[in-house]
Amino acid sequence: MGEFKVHRVRFFNYVPPGIRCVAYNNQSNRLAVSRTDGTVEIYNLSANYFQEKFFPGHESRATEALCWAEGQRLFSAGLNGEILEYDLQALNVKYALDAFGGPIWSMTASPSGSQLLVSKRLLVGCEDGSVKLFQITPDNIQFERNFDRQKSSAVRKMIVDRQYMGVSKRKCIVWGVAFLSDGTIISVDSAGKVQFWDSATGTLVKSHLISNADVQSIAVADQEDSFVVGTAEGTIFHFQLVSVTSNSSEKQWVRTKPFQHHTHDVRAVAHSPTALISGGTDTHLVIRPLMEKVEVKNYDAALRKITFPHRCLISCSKKKQLLLFQFAHHLELWRLGSTVATGKNGDTLPLSKNADHLLHLKTKGPENIICSCISPCGSWIAYSTVSRVFLYRLNYERDNINLKRVSKMPAFLRSALQIMFSEDSKKLFVASNQGSLHIFQLLEGSFKHLHTFQPQSGTVEAMCLLAVSPDGNWLAASGTSAGVHVYNVKHLKLHCTVPAYNFPVTALAIAPITNNLVIAHSDQQVFEYSIPEKQYTEWSRNIQKQGFHHLWLQRDTPITHISFHPKRPMHILLHDAYMFCIIDKSLPLPNDKTLLYNPLPPTNESDVFRRRTAHAFKISKIYKPLLFMDLLDERTLVAVERPLDDIIAQLPPPIKKKKFGT
Amino acid sequence: MVQLRPRASRTPASAEAMVDEGQPASEEAEHGLLLGQPSSGAAAEPLEDEDGEDELDDEAPEELTFASAQAEAREEERRVRETVRRDKTLLKEKRKRREELFIEQKKRKLLPDSLLEQLTAAPHTDIKKSPGKLKEVNLQKKNEECEKGSDSKKVKVQKVQSASQKSYLALRLKDQDLRDSRQQAAKAFIHNSLYGPGTNRTTVNKFLSLDNKRLPVKKAAAQFLNHAWGIQKKQNAKRFKRRWMFRKMKTNKSK
Repeated sequence: MGEFKVHRVRFFNYVPPGIRCVAYNNQSNRLAVSRTDGTVEIYNLSANYFQEKFFPGHESRATEALCWAEGQRLFSAGLNGEILEYDLQALNVKYALDAFGGPIWSMTASPSGSQLLVSKRLLVGCEDGSVKLFQITPDNIQFERNFDRQKSSAVRKMIVDRQYMGVSKRKCIVWGVAFLSDGTIISVDSAGKVQFWDSATGTLVKSHLISNADVQSIAVADQEDSFVVGTAEGTIFHFQLVSVTSNSSEKQWVRTKPFQHHTHDVRAVAHSPTALISGGTDTHLVIRPLMEKVEVKNYDAALRKITFPHRCLISCSKKKQLLLFQFAHHLELWRLGSTVATGKNGDTLPLSKNADHLLHLKTKGPENIICSCISPCGSWIAYSTVSRVFLYRLNYERDNINLKRVSKMPAFLRSALQIMFSEDSKKLFVASNQGSLHIFQLLEGSFKHLHTFQPQSGTVEAMCLLAVSPDGNWLAASGTSAGVHVYNVKHLKLHCTVPAYNFPVTALAIAPITNNLVIAHSDQQVFEYSIPEKQYTEWSRNIQKQGFHHLWLQRDTPITHISFHPKRPMHILLHDAYMFCIIDKSLPLPNDKTLLYNPLPPTNESDVFRRRTAHAFKISKIYKPLLFMDLLDERTLVAVERPLDDIIAQLPPPIKKKKFGT
Repeated sequence: MVQLRPRASRTPASAEAMVDEGQPASEEAEHGLLLGQPSSGAAAEPLEDEDGEDELDDEAPEELTFASAQAEAREEERRVRETVRRDKTLLKEKRKRREELFIEQKKRKLLPDSLLEQLTAAPHTDIKKSPGKLKEVNLQKKNEECEKGSDSKKVKVQKVQSASQKSYLALRLKDQDLRDSRQQAAKAFIHNSLYGPGTNRTTVNKFLSLDNKRLPVKKAAAQFLNHAWGIQKKQNAKRFKRRWMFRKMKTNKSK
C-alpha cells in the first residue's frame, strides 16, 4: 500500500442540529426527521437507513410538527404560523400556506381510508386556541373549517400540545396527547406522568409516574396496542396493552421496556410496526427494532444510531492543501499545516507550521447552505442556497487572501443540489433540483454558460451526486431512483446509463487513467463500471459473483467519499464514518471465512503467512469517527475526524442526574 | 432495471421477496419511487450473461411465453412514443408561455395606477415625520439585521392620504416576517419551560464528568481546561511579546 503521512484534522467544528420532530410513513417505510434549524431529512429505512433526501433549513422556520398525509405527501407546521408542503421529487418546498392563527403547535392528518371522512384532512392546532381543518386536494391544501376551543368532536386522532393543567409549584405543561379509537386519551406532561383519561366521562383512569423530568413525546402504533414515550432524561419507555391474566380478555396498559440511548431530551418519538424511533437534542437518531416484532433475528434487528451526516460536507483543494468546511450558515477555509520532521510507522510528527484559518464566509439571508465546493486549484469557491448560487474568486498574495464575488449569475440557476469543479478548474458543473445539469466555463473574472443537459421528459429527478473524470471528458450524475447517467463533456451528449439498482447511491467517483466509474450503494455494495467500454469491469463481476465479506456488508454507515491514487490505478480509497479502506484490485478477494480486518502482521512472520492472509481489502480503523478522507498527493493523506465528545460538549444543558457518591 | 441474483446476505428475505429471474422488472419502477423489498445484495450483470449462470441455480428456468414478451416490447415502444410526443408538446407549451410572459411583463411593470398617483401626490414633509416615529423600531430592526449579516435596508414608510380619509402605511413585508413577536413569544415559552428556572438542568461538563468521578481511579472533569478564560489577556500578551522581540532585535542590531 505504501507509506503515507496523514494530516489528522480535528478543527472542523461540526455540530449537527438537534432533532425536533420525527414522522414515520408506513406505506413506503420512510422516516421524515425535522431538525431545529428547519432542515427536514428523509431516511429510507429499507435501504439500510440511508438518508436519501433532505430539504435545507431556514432561519425563520421553527418546525413543531411534521406529518405524512395521504400516502406520500409531507407537511410541516411551525411557530411562524405556516404550513409547508414538501415536494419529494423536486426536493424543494412546494408552497407555504399561512394558517392565520399564530404559531402552530401541532398538526395531524386523518388516517386515510377512514369511513368518517371522505377526503383527506389535515388538522392544525394554533396558538389562539383554535383548531383549523384543512382539506387536502391533489395540488395543495384548502382551509375548510375552524373549530373553536374545546369544541372538537368527531375527531379520530388528534395530537395537541400546550395546555395548562393542574397547578403545582410550576405550571404543568402537557407536552403530548394521543387519542385512541376506543376513547382513551393518553397525555404526557412535564411532571413526568403518563395519564390515561376516559373521553366519555372526562375522568382520569390511570396515572403512571415514570420519570422525575418531563415526558416530552408520545407516539402510538397503528394497531394501538403499544405506544412509546420519550423523557427529558433521554430514556424512552415502551407501553403495551397486555391481558391481565393469561386467559382473560381484559387488557391493561403496562410499562414494559425502558431504553436509554440518549443523553439529552428526547423530543420526538415514532412507532413503526417493528421498531421504536427516537430523536432529540443530542442529535442522534436511534432506531430500536422490537425483538418480538422482528421475524428474522439477524443483524437487521440490531440497534441503529445515526449520528454523522450521510453526505460529504468537506471539499479539498489538493494543490494548495486547502479544506473547505460547510456549515449551515457559513463556510470556513483552512490551510493545512506542514511538518519537516520524518519518522517511522505510528509516530506523531510535530507541526512546523500550524493550520491556518484563512476565510470565514458568511452567507447572506436566512437560508441554509445546501452544497459547496472548492476548485482543485484553490481559486474558486462555489456554494448554493435554496434561491441562489454564489461563486467567488480567490486570489492568494503571499500570506493574504483576496475574495471577489462573481455577480450576475444566470437567472435560470436557482438552486443547486450539487456543485463540482473539473480537475483543471476550468469548468463548473451544477446539478440543479429541476433535474438539469448545467456546465459553465470559468474565465478569469467571470464565467460563460456552455451547455445544459435536460432531464428526460416525464421524470423530474433531482440529481444528487456528481463525479468528474480527472481528464475532464466524462461527467457522472446519479439521481434518486434511475441509474447513474454518464455524459460526454467534450461532445456534450449522454454517453450511457449504468443500470439502476434498488439501493440509492451514496458515493460516486471516476478513476484517473482507466476512467472506471466506482459507485457505492447504501447496502454497502461497490460496483465498478468502465465508461469507455460501457460495461462492468472484470473485477466488479468477480466480486459480485463471490459476494462481499459479511462483515463488510454489516457496516452501519454509508461510504461517503471515494478517491484514487494518481499513479496506481489498481487502488481505490474509500471511507465511511468508522473505517477507511484501500481496495487493491490486484490482490485476491476475501471470502467469508477469511479475516476481513487484518492489520499488518509483525514483520517476523513468514512471507508465506502474509501472502496467505493478504487480501484486497486493507482496512484501517485508526482514525474515527471520520468525516472525510482524501489523498492529497502520492505520500499524504488527510483525515478529518470529529470526536463525539466534541459534539456533546456544545449541546444544550441536559437534565441533572444525581448519582450516589458524586 | 438490472436483474440481480438473489444472494445470502444480511436480509435473508422470504422467497416471495426475491426478485424473479426471468422477467424484466416493471417499467414503473424506473420512473416512480422505488419502494419496497430490498432485494438481497446481488450481482449486477448485464442481461446477456444470464444464460451462463443458469446452471448454477437450483430452480428450473422460467418459461417466458411469446405473448408476454411481445406485450412488453409493445409497451416499451408505446412508452418511447409517449416520451417523444411529450417532448414535442412541452416545447410548444414553453414557446407559448414565453410569448405570454413577455406580454404579461409589459403590463405588470407598473403598480396599479391609483396607488401610484396617491404616493406621488402625498406631501413630501410626511416622509420626514414618519421615520421619526418609527425610529426606535427601525433602529432595533436595523441592529438585528446587521447582526444577521444582511444589508441594512431602510423600511420604506409613507403615509398616504386616500379619498376615504383613512391613512395607510406601506411596509415591506419581508422585514416583518422574521421578527414576528408571537413567534418570539412562543419560542421563549418553550425555552423557559425546558431550560428556564425551576427545571433541573446541569452543565454538559458536569454531566460528562459524572462517570469520571465514580471510577476507581478518579479522573479530572471532561472539560477541565477552560480555554475561554482570559482570551483578551492572552492576545495582549502575544502582541506584547512580538513587539518586545522586535525592539530587542532592533537594539541588538544597532549595537
